[in-house]
Amino acid sequence: MNVLNFQSKECERVRRQLDAYLSNELLVETTSDVLKHLESCEACSRELESRVRVREALQTAAAKLLPPEYLGQAIRQRLRRAQPAWFGGFQATSWVAALASLALVVAVGQQWFRFERGKQLVASVLTLGVSDHLHCAIQAHNYPEIANPPDQLRQKLGPEYAALLPVVQGKLPGFQVLEAHICRVPGNPREYVHFIARGRGTILSVILTQRKGQSLPEARFVAAATSGGVELYRARLGAASVAGFETNDYFGFVVSDLGQDEMVRLAAGLAPALRNALGRSSGTERAAARAFLIAFVLAGLGAEHNRPGHYGSARKPQ
Amino acid sequence: MFHRPKICIDDFEAVAMPHVADLYRCASWLVQDSWEAEDLVQEVYLEAWKSFHRFEPGTNCRAWLFKILFHRLHHLRRRLWRASRLESLESGGDLDSLVAEPPVPQEIRDDDILLALAKLPLDFREVVVMADVQEFSYKEIAETLKIPLGTVMSRLSRGRKLLRQELAGVARAYGVEPAEEHEGESA
Repeated sequence: MNVLNFQSKECERVRRQLDAYLSNELLVETTSDVLKHLESCEACSRELESRVRVREALQTAAAKLLPPEYLGQAIRQRLRRAQPAWFGGFQATSWVAALASLALVVAVGQQWFRFERGKQLVASVLTLGVSDHLHCAIQAHNYPEIANPPDQLRQKLGPEYAALLPVVQGKLPGFQVLEAHICRVPGNPREYVHFIARGRGTILSVILTQRKGQSLPEARFVAAATSGGVELYRARLGAASVAGFETNDYFGFVVSDLGQDEMVRLAAGLAPALRNALGRSSGTERAAARAFLIAFVLAGLGAEHNRPGHYGSARKPQ
Repeated sequence: MFHRPKICIDDFEAVAMPHVADLYRCASWLVQDSWEAEDLVQEVYLEAWKSFHRFEPGTNCRAWLFKILFHRLHHLRRRLWRASRLESLESGGDLDSLVAEPPVPQEIRDDDILLALAKLPLDFREVVVMADVQEFSYKEIAETLKIPLGTVMSRLSRGRKLLRQELAGVARAYGVEPAEEHEGESA
């Protein structure tokens, strides 16, 4: 054991005051006494230096921890949708105040109810994307070790969605799109446009599916962020994190195990670009796409995709 | 009859929003989950906005927001953290033992200090973060955490010491040994 050899009780007294000295909480006279002792005591000076070093290391590490960029915006959005618990410039008698209090309780209750319900609804919609990621990409492992050629992926997607391939690849820095196809989760007629990418040591899915009248909550205060006018939602479902958004006709999801922050960040890049690309493909190209798809299916080109354990088909999501 | 001056959300944002990073930092280190920290900070701002009529202009908005943060944190703690209270650490022993501590590394890496901080019991961690990172005074910390001033001092002292001990473990891992000249007789 290492024990300090104190020459006097002075060291003991000063050492007990070092924490308060470090926090600038000592009286001026006491600070002066401590300083005087430190000038003549190497052991106590070293002790102080060690404590200062730890404090500075904490402050340095703290300065590097920054909130996600979208946090300030998310707070502002929620603030503007929340009903404050007071009414500026309001004059009232006591009975009016009582009524106002009652109304406030109801309003806060409704707000809380809407918020809780909104969160549940977000989770239920985002589950659509997570289920396809888990079934198709993770469990069935429907992707090759070496990326399929872009021509083959465009063929699998069909003309309506082929144009999305460069959009997805371009907005996923650090990832390589290995596979793209139309697929389905067993027991569910819903179909998905599914891009599977690899990067950062994991597999990530970008998934689109038609909304079919469903919608994320109108009470947008549950949104995590907005990107290019598109609201982004997030959830953590099991080990998977997901960020979702909606366009006029589709839900979009970005799913992986990289955490919700990262999913929201990637979705922020993808959502406006995919919305624009889907908007373009929903017009005149759609009629041509249908004609092509019929020919595509009749020619049996999708047969290769229907191996056991895979639910893919080259059809437009229904 | 009463009359309140009209307050708009822009006033609130002007005084409150500059503190988002500080609150997020503190919340992250206390709940140890970035997603939970984000939610917590958002809820702090909602609650602060709803009670903004009680905030006195010109007073310390940052301290007020931290009070709300810790109020919510303590609610969370009741659910999540009760098991990790270490009363014995708080009440036990001489806070500034005269036994010389092993040396902390000369250069402390961010990862090492953050890992050491995460290992502190929450009672100590929150006081260390408030004092050493947020640089609140003892009085402000006592008011924010609703604990006596003496408890602030003892938790800070104990928390800092635990932090140094954790870092000393890192130093030993790097092969740094205690200085020989500290050896001597017991005081």
